[in-house]
Amino acid sequence: MNIVETTGLGRRYGSTWALQDCTLALPAGRLIALIGPNGAGKSTLLNMIVGLTTPTVGEITVLDGRPAGSLAALDGIAFVAQDMPLYRNLSVGDMLHLTRNLNLSFDTVLARRRLTELGINEKQKAGKLSGGQQAQLALSLALARHPQLLVLDEPTAPLDPLARHDFMSSVMTAMADDGISVVLSSHLLAELERVADHLVLVSNGRIRVDGPVDDLIEEHRLVTCATAAASDHPGWEVIESSSTGTQTHRLVRLTSPTASIPSDCEARHVGIEELTLGYFRNGALAPLPALTGVSR
Amino acid sequence: MTTALATAPTVSLRPVPWTRLAWVTWRRYRFTLLVTVAVVAAISVDLIINGIHMRTAYSALVSCHPAAAASCRFAASGFNDKYGSIGFLSPIILLLPGALGAFAGAPLLARELETGTFRYAWTQGVGRMRWAAALIVPGAVGISMVLWVFGQVVTWHQHPLIEGGLRTRLDSEMFPVTGLAGAGWALLGFALAVFAGLLWRRVLPAVASAFAVWFGLAYLAHGLRRSSYRSPLTTTSLNMANHREFISQFWTRGGVRVSDSEIDRKLSALGADVSGSGVKIHASPGQTDPIQYLIQHGYQQVTSYQPDSRYWPFQWIEFGWLAALSVVLLGVTFWLLRRRAA
Repeated sequence: MNIVETTGLGRRYGSTWALQDCTLALPAGRLIALIGPNGAGKSTLLNMIVGLTTPTVGEITVLDGRPAGSLAALDGIAFVAQDMPLYRNLSVGDMLHLTRNLNLSFDTVLARRRLTELGINEKQKAGKLSGGQQAQLALSLALARHPQLLVLDEPTAPLDPLARHDFMSSVMTAMADDGISVVLSSHLLAELERVADHLVLVSNGRIRVDGPVDDLIEEHRLVTCATAAASDHPGWEVIESSSTGTQTHRLVRLTSPTASIPSDCEARHVGIEELTLGYFRNGALAPLPALTGVSR
Repeated sequence: MTTALATAPTVSLRPVPWTRLAWVTWRRYRFTLLVTVAVVAAISVDLIINGIHMRTAYSALVSCHPAAAASCRFAASGFNDKYGSIGFLSPIILLLPGALGAFAGAPLLARELETGTFRYAWTQGVGRMRWAAALIVPGAVGISMVLWVFGQVVTWHQHPLIEGGLRTRLDSEMFPVTGLAGAGWALLGFALAVFAGLLWRRVLPAVASAFAVWFGLAYLAHGLRRSSYRSPLTTTSLNMANHREFISQFWTRGGVRVSDSEIDRKLSALGADVSGSGVKIHASPGQTDPIQYLIQHGYQQVTSYQPDSRYWPFQWIEFGWLAALSVVLLGVTFWLLRRRAA
């Protein structure tokens, strides 16, 4: 089952394409990280998933074939938007009641328990809470809807490291407990290293890479060769290269699992952060086709 | 993605019931309702107190006999001076439907868009159209009802003045706030403000522009009411009964309208001091009454007016176009809201 499926999806604002040629099939039950620089098109894609924005071209369905933005889709998706928009002059209790009344199902017991654990008083105004508490409140409201898909737009950007850690553990716990799928956007690479199952790299309104993290790690190598060595090799595709004195470093994608590394070069595995940075440095030069080969 | 849709499991989903949304509506309008009712109540209390005094004075006036006696005429003039106008409240009452309508309507969509909370509200299970309907429809009905009730208070207050012939129900200060018109003007103010809120995405410009447009339309309606809802009636009678709204007076000769300057010349030849418009004769020297003089010379004074009996037909006409315009505005708002992309 795919939690999000898009075909040739594009969104234009005026004459600028915020996102184009986006074809994705995101699997359910994973934490899917949407990574890209600011203005890359991450929010545009998320807004289309939750039905806030309609596509200019292309198709998008969610939760195994429901049209994005339809009532059936909205019912199964909880969205925590950037900067956690809450009604600032409503009390936490009123926010709870409001969310309960705006949805078919809402687990008030779960929401109350979470807020108690977090030490958030229901009588407090939502606008008076700290940034971390506001994020947790927004997340609690979203999780109490028992969504099939939780969509988080830069959820940890305004938080301090401790609040960020707490927030991400809450998300991971919910995933483990309820088996929900999560799509989150972020430009904080380090925190995703441990948690993301599936990566979608976006830059300049295009999908650069889309695939399970394990596969991507398996297929990419940082290859260091003497500068004089041949740059072309049948077994790899160069993503990015840089030279330091006598050595050339290349981020490469192996075109087959059995591809060999030239004997005069050294190869090592890379993490998400290195991999992502490699693609984004390259991305400014030429758009790459998405690595559909590694998608399952 | 037709293939995906074809294989998708049929999702039968009942919408979030309106009974749940009732709380959302109530929570959203709690403060607006408090302010609106407080303003209307404060003005109403003033009108009711004034109205009670007016009734006491009026019954004393009616029981004054003989009516032509100097003391009674003096009392009548005093009554008119005291109760003929409600002073500074008069413009406030006239602007109230637009002001309260804009106040209630503007924040509805504008604040959501201004603060970003639309990203919360429109992604809940209820869906943005049902959410908007749950707020816009009760708001429109509510503000209309509040101003309708207020119109009843104004009607009650003005009753002795109407009965005494000091004012007509078609008066431009009374007509648009009483009967159905008051509700219609409030509805239009609300609809304009909701619509402006969606366009501006900010509360203050939405309030300001909605009120400005409302004011312009209210000004235009004043002219429409006088001559366009139905053609004014005319009479050549000099003794005009009360209970009618005067539109204009002019002179004719042999059934043809004559210019004011001709009348002026005629009267100047007579030696009358004519100033201002031709029908306003400030002094009539000698024994000759200038009006009678003109009539004797074949001229006829014609008065055009709207009769009091047209009050309810006019109320329905005015309410009709106000309601139609409001429904169109709100319809366009829903249409834009559905299409609107974040």
